[in-house]
Amino acid sequence: MAWFICVVILLLCSKSELCTTGNASKLIEHTAAHFFEKMQSGKMYFIYFGKQVNPTIGLFIEQLEKSADVLEDYGISVAKVNCTNEHIAKYCTGEKLMKKVYLFRGGNVLKSFDTDTVFDVNAIVSHVLFTVLFDEVRYVHTIAELQSVERAAKGKADIVLGHVQVLGLPEHRALMETAFVYGVKYQFVLTTGGPVLTNMGVEDISSLTAGLWFLHCKGASQSQHSDSCPHTALRRALTTLHIYTFLQLMEAPLVSEASVEPSEVNMVHSHLQVPLLFLFSQPHTVALDRVTAQTLAWRLRGQVGLVLIHRESPDVKIPLEYNAAYRLPGEGSEVKYLILNNLEEVIDLFRDESTPEEEEDDDNWATLDVLDDEVAESVYRDRGQSLDMDAVTELTADTFHSAVAESDYTVVLFYVKWDAVSMAFMQSYIEVSESLEDADVSDVELAVLDCGEWTDVCSAQKIRSFPTVRLYRPQEPSQPYQGMLGTESLNRFIMLSRLVSPVLLSSPDEVTSFLEGDMYQRHAAIAPVTVLGLFSSTADAGVPVFKEAAKALRGETMVGLFADRQAEIWAVEYSVTLPAILVSRGPTGQTEAHSLNLSMPDQLVTHIQRALLDTFATVIDGGHSAHLMKVHMDQIQTLKTEIESLKAHQQKEKHYLRAEIQATADALVQSQAALMESRAVNDTVEEGEERDGVTIHARHTCELWNSTSDRQTQHTLPFKCLGSLKNVLVFERKAIFLCPFKMASN
Amino acid sequence: MDSPILLLLALLVALVQCFPDDYHSHNSTRHHDYCVLGAGPAGLQMGHFLSKSQRDYIILERNSGPGSFFNIYPRHRKLISINKIYTGRRNREFNLRHDWNSLLSDRPDLLLQRVSRELYPDADSFPRYLSMYVKELGLKVQYGVDIGKIRASETESPRGRGYILTDQRGLDYTCRVLLVSTGLWDPQKVQFEGSDLVEGYESIPVDPEEYKDQAVLILGKGNSAFETAQSILGRASRIHLYSPSPVRLAWQTHYVGDLRAVNNELLDTYQLKSLDGLVEGGLEDIAIVRNGEDEKKRSGRKKKCRSSGKEKRGKLFLTLSELLDSSDGKNSSKVTATNLPVYHNDNFSLRQPYDRVIRCLGFRFNFSIFDGSARPPSSEGARGRLPGVTAWYEGRGTPDLFVLGTAAHSRDYRSSAGGFVHGFRYTVRAVHRVLELRYHSNSWPSIKLSISQLQSWLLRRVNEASGPYQMFGVLGDIILLRGSHCEYLEEFPLQALPQFSSLSGHQLSKHGLLVLVLQYGLNRTDSLGPGRAESEWTRAWRSNFLHPVLYYYDKLPTERDMRHRPVGWPLPRPKAVHHMIEDFLTEWDGPISHSQPLRRFLEHCLHTDLRAFYAESCFRFSLTNRKPPLFCRQGYLRKHGVVRNRQLWQHAHEAGLMPGGQDSASPDTDPAFPDYLTRAGASVSSAINLDF
Repeated sequence: MAWFICVVILLLCSKSELCTTGNASKLIEHTAAHFFEKMQSGKMYFIYFGKQVNPTIGLFIEQLEKSADVLEDYGISVAKVNCTNEHIAKYCTGEKLMKKVYLFRGGNVLKSFDTDTVFDVNAIVSHVLFTVLFDEVRYVHTIAELQSVERAAKGKADIVLGHVQVLGLPEHRALMETAFVYGVKYQFVLTTGGPVLTNMGVEDISSLTAGLWFLHCKGASQSQHSDSCPHTALRRALTTLHIYTFLQLMEAPLVSEASVEPSEVNMVHSHLQVPLLFLFSQPHTVALDRVTAQTLAWRLRGQVGLVLIHRESPDVKIPLEYNAAYRLPGEGSEVKYLILNNLEEVIDLFRDESTPEEEEDDDNWATLDVLDDEVAESVYRDRGQSLDMDAVTELTADTFHSAVAESDYTVVLFYVKWDAVSMAFMQSYIEVSESLEDADVSDVELAVLDCGEWTDVCSAQKIRSFPTVRLYRPQEPSQPYQGMLGTESLNRFIMLSRLVSPVLLSSPDEVTSFLEGDMYQRHAAIAPVTVLGLFSSTADAGVPVFKEAAKALRGETMVGLFADRQAEIWAVEYSVTLPAILVSRGPTGQTEAHSLNLSMPDQLVTHIQRALLDTFATVIDGGHSAHLMKVHMDQIQTLKTEIESLKAHQQKEKHYLRAEIQATADALVQSQAALMESRAVNDTVEEGEERDGVTIHARHTCELWNSTSDRQTQHTLPFKCLGSLKNVLVFERKAIFLCPFKMASN
Repeated sequence: MDSPILLLLALLVALVQCFPDDYHSHNSTRHHDYCVLGAGPAGLQMGHFLSKSQRDYIILERNSGPGSFFNIYPRHRKLISINKIYTGRRNREFNLRHDWNSLLSDRPDLLLQRVSRELYPDADSFPRYLSMYVKELGLKVQYGVDIGKIRASETESPRGRGYILTDQRGLDYTCRVLLVSTGLWDPQKVQFEGSDLVEGYESIPVDPEEYKDQAVLILGKGNSAFETAQSILGRASRIHLYSPSPVRLAWQTHYVGDLRAVNNELLDTYQLKSLDGLVEGGLEDIAIVRNGEDEKKRSGRKKKCRSSGKEKRGKLFLTLSELLDSSDGKNSSKVTATNLPVYHNDNFSLRQPYDRVIRCLGFRFNFSIFDGSARPPSSEGARGRLPGVTAWYEGRGTPDLFVLGTAAHSRDYRSSAGGFVHGFRYTVRAVHRVLELRYHSNSWPSIKLSISQLQSWLLRRVNEASGPYQMFGVLGDIILLRGSHCEYLEEFPLQALPQFSSLSGHQLSKHGLLVLVLQYGLNRTDSLGPGRAESEWTRAWRSNFLHPVLYYYDKLPTERDMRHRPVGWPLPRPKAVHHMIEDFLTEWDGPISHSQPLRRFLEHCLHTDLRAFYAESCFRFSLTNRKPPLFCRQGYLRKHGVVRNRQLWQHAHEAGLMPGGQDSASPDTDPAFPDYLTRAGASVSSAINLDF
């Protein structure tokens, strides 16, 4: 038998393409005879008369089928009549055919609908039910209409006022479905906007698409004709479930009273997934507490259940300091106790979400209270220790000028006490001062000046950043210290600054001594690299320039000057032309020579600074950290020209260019290589931008890298270097660093 | 032929110049780039700035010495501006926050405390101080020049129109720019029936003995009214203060022009019911009548009343003008019982007669010396007593004429300190900076700072700056953001922000700007009640007392934005705002409550990490990031990193902030890196892409 039905359905499908999605559909297809028979039964029918099926109608039929399931619950049968096969007078004829659906009751047409109006399940259900409940659900538009309904209902029934902006939407359906069930109990009123809403306290009518209010008219006395009933709004979306819950809540008592622990209280609210608010009452304040509870309950009605707990009961063991508690819905949710000072706080507690989030907020703030700046935090943790400022001189506006004039060398640290870096460096600064004292260095005075107090001095000295360290010598312009803010660097700077710069050498012997002999050895600890300027005579125009540069380099390295005809000897030896500089790295290291043809001291300084760079540019600074230095401009130059030629060649948009370079780099490394220092590349291309911190991470060999890791820092570096390819360091994990230039050692 | 004449002319000119001013011929004119009218505190302050920038200026003063207002006023000779000498600090800028009398100069000791050591100095010390100021700074003041007429010059020269000032001898002074610092001299008067019976504050006797056992009615409830009341409190029998508005206490309103506690003894005697009192009522509808001779006649008949009649004879009654009108016809000089309010209302508060009625209603600007072509309009606020000026204190409709000092108070009337020495000394400086740009192309002085230094610098200003502190809500520091650095401009008039570029000569970049303002909270709270101060930094926006507020804009607010700013706000709604929690000691240097929230705000605005790092961390970041944090870029990578010592290293490690583990490699995965920055970090990297 079953296969036969299947065949029939299959046939039907193939013939009329009225393919139903499942066998369970409640949609009945009527024959003419069937139709007339049913009409007599007095039941309600929602019937569609159709002929041929086009896609639009197909969609409608689909919706009609779905609605059949729903409407069956309300005792309404949904059916369709195929007019091609059956002919029913009046319905299967006429122009409107195909476009109309009819609702029958006892053989009479109750209402006909356009298929456009009842376009989907929600629309069908809502419209059909609205028609069926025509007598029970009142439609109002003006305030007067509502008032007349209210007057009629007063003392008898409560009113449920629903608002939907458009009929036929899910909200309308939910409302109608509820009305169908509760129509006897409550008076349902429907509005589609207008002045009625203003009465309900809606400010922006146009933005409210749907809403529901419960008007407590049953309890209202009939005598107060003019007053409208008090109302409670549903503060959630209009769904059947929400409306149901809401109506249940409206039925629940406003305030319940109990004499047990809050966790023991069992109310309808817990089933309805609504939080409970407990207020604790004392015997002598019961009356007042009831009033408070009532007031609160009115304001929170529909959102929260309110329970007044009598504290005096022996079953109640609540800490006395609390006067309220709440319990969120859900199995096993904890009772949370709080202290509330006024009603608004309670209202706020439940305002947006029914779940208060106060605790979380507190946590957030708490984490914000923690300093996340390592320097600030470490200084802050040290706040218990007061700095021992005895070792340094604390200058004031009155003493500053005399102090810097008196001593041969005065080093001044300008600081502000709210700058953590200043205060961190202050500790190292004091250490330097102590170590100088121990070393019996008497001609150097270390001083500090608080710019927070002596603001005039700092303004006059044009201090623009904190901390600033300057070296003052009588009758000479002050010299800024630009090295690392640490004990060792500062110490070296001070020691080097005490040397005359440049050292004037008068004989070849002295030159040898300066480069690798006694003179070198004496200062090797603080100046492992020395620079010697070679000029053919003191009359050379380059000599004053060199002297100027040497002054600027004071504190950085030891600079010598040999201006004599005999300088030619060295020039020949190192195959350079005079004037030139020799950079010596002591007797064991090699000595490099560079020709000079620079006219400005600044240029010369940069030139010498570059020449000073070790072949391995990594410098172990402060004895602790590996330092990365600015790299040789010549070496960048190669890269720069490459990029520029690429730029000229490609004539592409800037970011395409970037992609291009990226691709080149990737190809070069042939793996997940990171293009090191994209910033440096960036800077060479973008001339206009300020060049801040242009750095190339210098030429590391694996050996150096790993030694840095082990020896110089207390923690290990993130990557262990495995080996070096041509210009790539290969690391154990994650990263491969591309050095954008040749390794100097190769 | 020509040369001898030229020579003669040159000689003549030289001769003329040799003679003192008085020898000038009647019609000769003198020209100055700047004429400052009045050698009061504002005029001298401007004189100092003009002299410092070596401008061609002259200060014209009608009296024989500076600050002559203070030779007369305050009548009872006590200045109520604070002269606080001991602040426990030696920071000059900070100390100016508590020195309300001194003018600005570069000399550290040119302060009022050299003349007077009193907290509330004697009024005579102020002109003395001003004389000292003129002398030590060598300001060019011409005394005895009483300018009676000011007109705009008709000829339009390419340099602007200029003004012509005529003095009492008919001498003309032509000025390219006129700076009006004439102060307020005209007593404010209200016309009502019998106002001729009223004595003015300017002319009352100051000897308390003159008020012995007298009942005194004072019109007004300001400082001058209370000052007068206070001086006669021990002699007068009854003092009533009458004016439309209730008394406003400076310590409640934070406005120093309201009643200062120095003068408020009468509040005590009023509230303790000791015969004195305050009454509110309109001034226009009252009338003062004298009980005169007709009383005498009647007293002859009714002997019983004689004693009381005598007592009341010649006394002044306060009544209402409407009661006088109702009496027969225009003959209001004859006072009958029905003319007095007590006849109609037997418990009328001011029913008892007075021996004196004193007007203490303040002063107004003297508009009369201005010709129509040069007269600034009356201000909208301040009851029209002051000239209306633009946000940069130029008269409305009178280009090249600026109003300085008390007369310029209409900009911040009843809200800030622009009407007082301790306020306008800063606005004068602001005006001078505007002048420097407009007439000499010197843009507003600015300091270029690295972004990593901005936080320290802001804290420095917040902790010491006196200008924004005194002129709260009116002058503020502007920080022009320029990527890795910024330009810091001090004390710009906030209301002129829409015209920022044309007034300061600085251009805004696409990075936007920050404005640092000090302001009081907007929520009016009980000044002495509980909860008046906020101490939790997370609730800094609820601060009630003076506290720093930072506004961040990505572009300049427009004129329209300015007009539609929220009520009570000094500036329109910004893109981001940061309140620094008010501080009891006005020291904003706490790492947790002040520094860190400020840093986070700056990070938010600048989209960059502003934290400081030790060298080790920077090293790590440099190797693992394309772009290490700013602090490392500007410090460590320039060989200027911070090396920790052992102790601090320990602390940082304990705090768990130092990257010590093997895993964390980039800020994005670093657990110590705050969440809220990851987004900022993302935008930074995308910015890099675009830059390229």
